Amino acid sequence: MSKSVAAASGHALWAKMPKANAELFALTYGSLVTELIRDYDSIEEINEQLEKMGYSIGVRCVDEFLAKSEQHGMTVPTCQNLKDTAEVVAKTGFRMFLGISCDVTMAPDGNAFSLFMYENPLALFVELPKTNDMPTAAGGATKKWEDLKYSNLYCGILRGSLEQINLRVSCEYIRDVLQGEEVNEIRVTLREVLQDGAGDDYKEE
Amino acid sequence: IEYSTLSYNPIIHKNKNKGTNHPKKMGFLHLFVVNKSGGLIHHRPLGDRAPTIGTNEWLRIGSTFHSLHAIAAEASPLRLLGNKNAYGADDGIEEINAGGILLKSFQTRTGVKFVITADPGTADIDYVLREIYVLYTDCALKDPFYELEMPIRCELFTQAVDLLVERVEKSGAGSFKQR
Repeated sequence: MSKSVAAASGHALWAKMPKANAELFALTYGSLVTELIRDYDSIEEINEQLEKMGYSIGVRCVDEFLAKSEQHGMTVPTCQNLKDTAEVVAKTGFRMFLGISCDVTMAPDGNAFSLFMYENPLALFVELPKTNDMPTAAGGATKKWEDLKYSNLYCGILRGSLEQINLRVSCEYIRDVLQGEEVNEIRVTLREVLQDGAGDDYKEE
Repeated sequence: IEYSTLSYNPIIHKNKNKGTNHPKKMGFLHLFVVNKSGGLIHHRPLGDRAPTIGTNEWLRIGSTFHSLHAIAAEASPLRLLGNKNAYGADDGIEEINAGGILLKSFQTRTGVKFVITADPGTADIDYVLREIYVLYTDCALKDPFYELEMPIRCELFTQAVDLLVERVEKSGAGSFKQR
């Protein structure tokens, strides 16, 4: 799918989706992360929980994406390779749900891609504390805030949604604006193209 | 699969060719939804004339259809790459046109199958199938208590489906753009 077609669909779909208050969205997410920080001791666990939540969202998101793009007459053509998938995710998917557009860079071997987000709707008003500033939590170890992947939800969403269309991927948050970088980067690596169950069984006969 | 319809009753076929008018009963009969693994996750009568079918029978129908859908792609003389059709979903049965019944199936790219049975000649079935997919995403998937692949027990979904069918039947045939 060419970039411009994906982008155009994205814009059109964004216009048709019901909107929520961006601040409410960011603040709700912020309180969710704060709760997680209170509940869990280690940053790794928090990151993992965020990813799991994202996964549950992702598996449901993809059907909505496919259904609504059909409904509004913008069929997403079948992707021929990972590059097409990346374009659709970045230009159409992200724009439809979040109103932001991402840039995509493919890895040289074609099995991975990076999504670059210049604005992050989840991280409005957010500032992460520096490790040295925080007093030790009662009874717990000092948390290393540099390891917190605040927007790890996206990684889960990508993993969940791509799994529903038979692409098993692993996603990792590489660079985060909240940690002082210039851009948010998520690396998506294709692990396996899954085969639907039914086909294989009948091939055996 | 582009060609899968067989008429089980050749007599009716001949009558059509002669141009004989036979009274057309138009109406939706049943909706059923099959998940990725072939389990039935929803079934609902869409009209008064839908025959009553027991729950066990429904489960059998769901799994049988799922298997037939897959076998049809294997048995088809025209095999598509990876058994995926142009839309990107698994190739398989799209329509069964038998003597007294019309069955249309729509498989999403995530593997969920929406199937509607109706009287032959009922219009707008494709439109209804796609709208039901949207209702599935809005009502069933967004229900926090709904687990994926499990039976759909959402009031909102069933109400919305009923309203949709009512709206389509009221508007008359052919008033919705066929994709």
